[in-house]
Amino acid sequence: MTPTTTETLSSHAGGLKLWLERYPFLPALIIVVALLALNGAFSPNSLGYRSLTGLLSTYMALIMLAIAQTYVVSAGDIDLSAGATLSLVNVAIVVLMEKWGGGAGAVVGAMLLGVLLGLVCGVINGIVVAALRLQAIVATFATSIFFTGVALYVMPVAGTPAPALFWRTYGGRLLGLPFVFYVLAALALLLFLLSRTRLVTQLLAVGDDQQAAYQTGLPVVLIRIKGYALCGLFSALAAFCLTGDTASGDPLVGGKMTLYSVAAVVLGGSALAGGWTTVVGSLLGALTIGLVNSLVFFMGTPSEWQNFVQGLAILFVLMAGVLAGRRARA
Amino acid sequence: MSKLKLNGVSKAYGATLALRRGDLEIAAGEVHVLMGSNGSGKSTLCKIIAGSVRPDGGEILIDGQPVTISGPQSARAQGIGIFYQELSLAGNRSVEENICLAMLPVKARMFIDRAALKARAARYIDLFTGVFGDGFAAETLVGNLRADQRQLVEIMKALASEAPILIFDEPTSALDRAQVDRFFDILRRLKRDGRGIIFISHRMDEITAIGDRVTIIRDGETIKTLNLNETDPAAVIRLMVGGAGDMPASRSSAPAVASFATGAAMTVDKLSGAGFRNVSFEVAKGEILGLGGLHGQGQSAMLRAIFGAGAITSGGIRIGGDHFDARSPRDAIRRGCAYVSGDRGRDGVIVGRPIIENVTPIHYLRDRLMIAHPRSLKEKAMPALAAMHTKFASLLHPINSLSGGNQQKVIIARWLIDRPDVLLLDDPTKGIDLSAKADLFALIRQLAADGLGILLYSSEDAELLGNANRILVFNGGSVTRELTGEDRTRYNLYQAAYEAA
Repeated sequence: MTPTTTETLSSHAGGLKLWLERYPFLPALIIVVALLALNGAFSPNSLGYRSLTGLLSTYMALIMLAIAQTYVVSAGDIDLSAGATLSLVNVAIVVLMEKWGGGAGAVVGAMLLGVLLGLVCGVINGIVVAALRLQAIVATFATSIFFTGVALYVMPVAGTPAPALFWRTYGGRLLGLPFVFYVLAALALLLFLLSRTRLVTQLLAVGDDQQAAYQTGLPVVLIRIKGYALCGLFSALAAFCLTGDTASGDPLVGGKMTLYSVAAVVLGGSALAGGWTTVVGSLLGALTIGLVNSLVFFMGTPSEWQNFVQGLAILFVLMAGVLAGRRARA
Repeated sequence: MSKLKLNGVSKAYGATLALRRGDLEIAAGEVHVLMGSNGSGKSTLCKIIAGSVRPDGGEILIDGQPVTISGPQSARAQGIGIFYQELSLAGNRSVEENICLAMLPVKARMFIDRAALKARAARYIDLFTGVFGDGFAAETLVGNLRADQRQLVEIMKALASEAPILIFDEPTSALDRAQVDRFFDILRRLKRDGRGIIFISHRMDEITAIGDRVTIIRDGETIKTLNLNETDPAAVIRLMVGGAGDMPASRSSAPAVASFATGAAMTVDKLSGAGFRNVSFEVAKGEILGLGGLHGQGQSAMLRAIFGAGAITSGGIRIGGDHFDARSPRDAIRRGCAYVSGDRGRDGVIVGRPIIENVTPIHYLRDRLMIAHPRSLKEKAMPALAAMHTKFASLLHPINSLSGGNQQKVIIARWLIDRPDVLLLDDPTKGIDLSAKADLFALIRQLAADGLGILLYSSEDAELLGNANRILVFNGGSVTRELTGEDRTRYNLYQAAYEAA
């Protein structure tokens, strides 16, 4: 085809633009590689198999939550209750698994109900934002308080332990490989399948221009509700990973993760305005946050300065990514 | 039997009647042209048929059966496809995805069938092979396309609906000759297939080339339907203008021409930028220079560019004797240039803040004011508001508590505390009531009499004819005609606006 030949002939900047269009997570990938190198420089051990597995199982929850956020951001929405949904699912499954005896049947049953609970939270958000037309930021902030309230009712005080079967599986090995690798592989497959669905294309079209999507004849309200439902689903998956990692229930655990998930989406190269998102980027964005945190630790930053350095580092990474993207797209 | 019939369809936005009484009858196998001046209700009529605007009254019949169109989805289900004038494309999606967006082919009920999507899109892309120019491919993101290519994609998208009734609301405004010819070939084929096609264009030559019948809409009302081969363009324009068409503008209302012999307020020399090119003119002190023509022919783009809010690629501006090249609105304001937009929400009102804060921002900027005493500010604000006959309860009430007309008066009042040299008016009376309009124009004339140079773009021709000393008619981004003195008639203004660009 003729257009392909003109593309290869185009200037370096134009080629870069094309690359970014096809793989918008490239800057995030470069940043992750750079952070890995920095981590290695400060502490060679941190690049070992064990440490990386540990990093992955700790940050898998944030990865899932960032991906959850990506689907609502695709449609130009936002979900500030993703973290609260995570907390709610976390305490709900811990309580259920304990009540049902902590066996394999209890774990599976609790997880099924957990998924359902996440979906319900998502649909509530979707109805509030898309059908009742409330401002997404404020409305989901309100539902986050509501969900937290329910979580506190389910488990007033943090600390109920999850059954050993659950966290031993998550932190353990299966056929010689760490279990979290299977989680990652399943996630990759799920993301691949989702990327081919009609829903994701419709979400992005709505995020591009809601009025245009409506005039095209797309069921905009329903599509946005489905986006929130998807977000609730992934928040529930995030809750499973978190429960596996912390081995206990905590009704307030997800609150501070919400804005991290938004940050990860942006660090990954998605446009917060919608219409242009990348789930792979969000995964890398969440890893970026994890790597920044471990870097701050390995650099031997005094504890009272850790937040300061973390914030500075995330700002710096954000700037680098934005500048790279701007230059390539110009 | 008619394919589509509209009986007395109406639509009002608040107090503004967008469509008073729309009647229309489309037969199978015809291209039916809609004609009417700016804001006459053509687009509203089309959007009602396409379901994106819900009518207040009237009835719609398809193939003789009365139907209710509850939204774009329902319109599509009832066999209506539309090309939107402002386009309905997703910029970050590819050409082929956009073409099929309304009905994405799926397999297993949820996954997009890429092969089917490609094949379906290709059917419509292939129709335009050879005329879409460089950088166009099925996989290209629509946001990376040129304006004409985007318009072609919107055409393909409308065609892909395969609807028996197709509406094209100004589909050719950015297309070149070859693209238009190809599009017309396709339209002729659709006509032979028995589709009913509604077509809006402002190019008279296109209308006679493709149209079978024409329906003329004036002030939101259907005036008449004619066979195009039994009429001539002059008769059509006369119908659009109405009975008053041949009369010159009421000269009594325009200010005397002799009073501005004191030199140029602003000189614009061969100015080009995004949306306009090679515009030259001079506004004398005390003159009101009208900018006419159809919507979006570069008038607003030029005014915004002069004010520093849009890009200028070449040419020069002088205010008084000084070279003027504002890089930002802030810069332009400091150097004595004022701009009032009809889009108050975007360009004027500081929403939710008290009236006094909405009157004084320009004063702050021009006086480099850091701290001000409320009482002294009030002394400055009151005369400015009084000059506009602004009605308000208290300076501390939020601006939202006022009507649209009074809000616009507050916006204009903010420029009266420190007088600018040049006033740019960008369709300033959009959506405000008649009495507020009268107050506004009385003040504009007073300002002109005080020696300001005023540029007035209005989408309502009567306002231009009634107030401007001269009118520059824009067409396709440049000035195609200048109307002065006796030439300032409705007929001339329409004719100049509708000439092929």
